[in-house]
Amino acid sequence: MANSNLPRRIIKETQRLLSEPAPGISASPSEDNMRYFNVMILGPTQSPYEGGVFKLELFLPEEYPMAAPKVRFLTKIYHPNIDKLGRICLDILKDKWSPALQIRTVLLSIQALLSAPNPDDPLSENIAKHWKTNEAEAVETAKEWTRLYASGA
Amino acid sequence: MDSEDDDFYSGEAMDDENDYYNTDDAAYADGYDDEDEDDDDDDYEFMEEVDEEYVSRQQQSYTVLKEEDIQQRQEDDITRVSTVLSISRVDASILLRQYNWSVSRVHDAWFADEDGVRKSVGLLDKPVFQFSNAKELTCGICFEPYTRDKVMSAACGHPFCCTCWKGYISATVNDGPGCLMLRCPDPSCRAAVGQDMINMLASDDDKEKYTRYLRRSYVEDNRKGCLRYHLKHEPYLPSDCCYIHFVYCQTKWCPAPGCDYAIDFAAGGGTFDVSCLCSHSFCWNCTEEAHRPVDCGTVSKWILKNCAESENMNWILANSKPCPKCKRPIEKNQGCMHMTCSPPCKFEFCWLCLGAWSDHGERTGGFYACNRYESAKQQGDYDETERRREMAKNSLEKYTHYYERWASNQSSRQKALADLHQMQTVHLEKLSDTQCTPESQLKFIIEAWLQIVECRRVLKWTYAYGYYLPEHEHAKRQFFEYLQGEAESGLERLHQCAEKELQQFLNDDSPSKEFNDFRTKLAGLTSVTKNYFENLVRALENGLADVDSHAACSKAGISKPPPASKGKSGRGKGSGRSSGSHDAGR
Repeated sequence: MANSNLPRRIIKETQRLLSEPAPGISASPSEDNMRYFNVMILGPTQSPYEGGVFKLELFLPEEYPMAAPKVRFLTKIYHPNIDKLGRICLDILKDKWSPALQIRTVLLSIQALLSAPNPDDPLSENIAKHWKTNEAEAVETAKEWTRLYASGA
Repeated sequence: MDSEDDDFYSGEAMDDENDYYNTDDAAYADGYDDEDEDDDDDDYEFMEEVDEEYVSRQQQSYTVLKEEDIQQRQEDDITRVSTVLSISRVDASILLRQYNWSVSRVHDAWFADEDGVRKSVGLLDKPVFQFSNAKELTCGICFEPYTRDKVMSAACGHPFCCTCWKGYISATVNDGPGCLMLRCPDPSCRAAVGQDMINMLASDDDKEKYTRYLRRSYVEDNRKGCLRYHLKHEPYLPSDCCYIHFVYCQTKWCPAPGCDYAIDFAAGGGTFDVSCLCSHSFCWNCTEEAHRPVDCGTVSKWILKNCAESENMNWILANSKPCPKCKRPIEKNQGCMHMTCSPPCKFEFCWLCLGAWSDHGERTGGFYACNRYESAKQQGDYDETERRREMAKNSLEKYTHYYERWASNQSSRQKALADLHQMQTVHLEKLSDTQCTPESQLKFIIEAWLQIVECRRVLKWTYAYGYYLPEHEHAKRQFFEYLQGEAESGLERLHQCAEKELQQFLNDDSPSKEFNDFRTKLAGLTSVTKNYFENLVRALENGLADVDSHAACSKAGISKPPPASKGKSGRGKGSGRSSGSHDAGR
């Protein structure tokens, strides 16, 4: 139903995501709803998430691209800017959204967020506190969680 | 609408800049009432009406601005900036918006660092995006190819098709006043999008919204106020001399529902009470209804207390906090403590301590979990609020006492207003017929009613005053209650006379001999009550300071209460006689 009248832009974005995927990122639309994407992001090298495969869901609301896509982590992750429901604290998903941004740029930004956690602007308070008091230990926990929940099973 | 907008942006210089300082656009409130007189002294701006009757109650240091006055001022400011900086009116408008409509701040910033200002505001002098030589361009939003005439761009040159521009503009305009600072959709580009693009692309509805936001911004964001000057004539100067009088003016909307007027207020006036042309009187400082002799803080506490929708209030208190910068209540609906107020405020702060976010991070001691809150809590800053809430709960009974009296004076005032209206529209004419007296000689009745309305207002607020008068100040409380009681019985006497005693003359069919006596009595009561209330207001505004040095009930500044005050300046003659005939009844 949602597939009728799918804007050309979404079709084009989808085609491009499938034909030339960004490194470490895959996104494919659901069969019964072309606005719903199953996303996988590989944990960036040199980060505590290295070796992990993280599943996300991405939904393009009716107003897209005038409104930002809705994105959420499905895989549990230990990260100061991601809460236990998988919600992400990222400016371009909120007030800094622009219609000239795309699914690809959003996912690349999320990937970058994995490489550079920002505990000064936290979503998950406890994790951020952990990060600031004892970064080494927090990184260990993040690695541990990556192994437990994101080992690509 | 369309043609008007076009004119607005045609870039045509408005006429003489000096117009700005002339009387026409800045006619003071007095001026509006007697515009005819104004014609004689067009060159002067009389700040103060030298009429002793009024000086005591309202020094009119404000101007009521109609919608067209606001628009005129805004356009004049745009013209000045556009002329001085040699930029288009659209760009001038963007600059002014960015600098909160302060012409002088725009000038200062521009001449100090034009490039810096251009960069931060997004006024590019040449495109940053070069079109390729291809016949077709791809819209950056819908990715469709378009011929060049089908795409548009802001000064930066980033191409988007008209449909996407329309969607972008409509989404932003409907998102609130942030649309006044619209930028190119390209996330890396900061080029400003001005009203010219809006007018070309937006729907009529959205254009109107945008214009309204622009007008609103001119009044509301102009917080700091601006320096205006008026030519002021003084009686001791030769007739062709005057001196320049500088005043800081600030503008606020009249808060009456449906009223589109704004009040331009000159700082330094004695009182904040202003009267809009829509007849609403309010306090310019806190925008609540006029509330002398009570101060704004007390009024806001009192109103918060009275809020009929107390459930609502409880919810707001429990779930929202005011933005520390713009004071709008904010509900937290996202996880993190880093709050960003909605445009145009955009203040970033910490939800826990309400401090600026820029003070956070490493500098607060290394934790995002705001330890400023913890230390404040340890110092008891937050417990204090809780204790106060507890006390308020305990004083419910006391509150009910004051509230009932406050509310009954409020409704009595409403009734008096209705009676006044009835008097003006119906009874006065009839009375003039039966008593064979011209209406101009019945003015004393209207004056009596106006005085009743005003006194009810003052009396009402004395109950809020009484509620907040500290329990332990026994002498003050005693004195206050005495003054209030006298004021109340005096006012009852006046009200009774204007309401009941007048009734018999309304029922008469022929002139009555007693009517003259009635006139003397009512005029006397009016004058005496007026005096008494003015002194009461002054004493309360003064914080009942005299109590400290004198025993209660012996304040020199307060004239004796109405019943004993005989023969004030002849007019009060009747009041002495009348004092025996009425029981104060309280």
